[in-house]
Amino acid sequence: MSTSQEAATVVLDIGAAGKAPATTSVAAPAPAPAAPASSQPRKSPGTFFFRRKDHGSRCVALLDFLLRIAAFGPTLAAAIATGTSDETLSVFTQFFQFRARFDDFPAFLFFMVANAITAGYLVLSLPFSAAVVLRPQTTGLRLLLLVCDLIMVALLAAAASAAAAMVDLAHNGNLRANWVAICMQFHGFCQRTSGSVVGSFISVLILMLLVIFGAFAIRKR
Amino acid sequence: MKGSVEQGETSKAPLSSGISKGVAILDVILRFVAFIGTLASAIAMGTTKQTLSFFTQFIQFKAQYSDLPTLMFFVVANSIVCAYLILSLPLSIVHIIRSRAKYSRLILIFFDAAMLALVTAGASAAAAIVYLAHKGNVRANWLAICQQFDSFCERISGSLIGSFVAMVLLLLLIILSAIALARR
Repeated sequence: MSTSQEAATVVLDIGAAGKAPATTSVAAPAPAPAAPASSQPRKSPGTFFFRRKDHGSRCVALLDFLLRIAAFGPTLAAAIATGTSDETLSVFTQFFQFRARFDDFPAFLFFMVANAITAGYLVLSLPFSAAVVLRPQTTGLRLLLLVCDLIMVALLAAAASAAAAMVDLAHNGNLRANWVAICMQFHGFCQRTSGSVVGSFISVLILMLLVIFGAFAIRKR
Repeated sequence: MKGSVEQGETSKAPLSSGISKGVAILDVILRFVAFIGTLASAIAMGTTKQTLSFFTQFIQFKAQYSDLPTLMFFVVANSIVCAYLILSLPLSIVHIIRSRAKYSRLILIFFDAAMLALVTAGASAAAAIVYLAHKGNVRANWLAICQQFDSFCERISGSLIGSFVAMVLLLLLIILSAIALARR
């Protein structure tokens, strides 16, 4: 033990000045690190993934991946529910046409298309999010995902609120403009589209959380 | 050796701090332009009033923005975003001076995102209603009211522009703040 200490001090004092002290010190420090390694306690198996030096960015990246999967469900459901909304009344009245479909209303058409685009984007961004989980230091990829998420927030919020305006009009009508509430007749169509709008707003919330987590993880320490 | 390393570091620093200052100044300018946009939209929509000179049997002869709840929401949303933008302007000016602020930039991004969602919702819902006012809907038997109230219609259509411009600028603002966070 004392000889290894002596050899260690020889390396520190002389440095690169001689090869002879270096060869004797190569053998000496080799047993020295082996002794402290065996005396360390064993780490729990989970900490190889979440390292302390990542400062929690890997945890945020994993959360980002999970939230993306969570946002995909309501968006796809809203797109499908609106796309298959088609109601034909059995009774023919004088003032109403007897059939309602989503493409009779341009706002619902835009709503369905925007939800389909967002659902497709969320699926396609899953591999990029997985790449960020595996390598938390990539700032460029994180920034790209943040920008695309932001654009999707704006698109989906616009589509959901346009559809919500139409749904409100369908439920309540408007006295001044003489617009009659069509939900009185078309129950199923109204229920379907109202439910889709709710699902779409949930997706907007989740996407906004994604943006905020992305901005939090992107900061340089 | 040590002296040249120091010189290399200090020659890079003025360029990067110049870019940071440029980004922060652009942030202030865009924020001010978005403030003007939302203010103009809220005022243009809020002062709409048209009374028809003739009385028809089926259509009421007076139109204001408060008759349509969606346009009311538009005015309220634009006013909130307008107030937020003017209140966050001092914080952006502080960011020009202190480029190192991390957490205040994060708070600004958080509120900017919330305001983006609000102004997008207001502008888009009002756009849907304005489209309906122009074209009507055949299936639901909704008549296009622009045939009668043409100056009301022009007003509400024009006030959408400022709101959409503010939405795009808010989007750019968040992207700028994120880039500034990633560089620091």
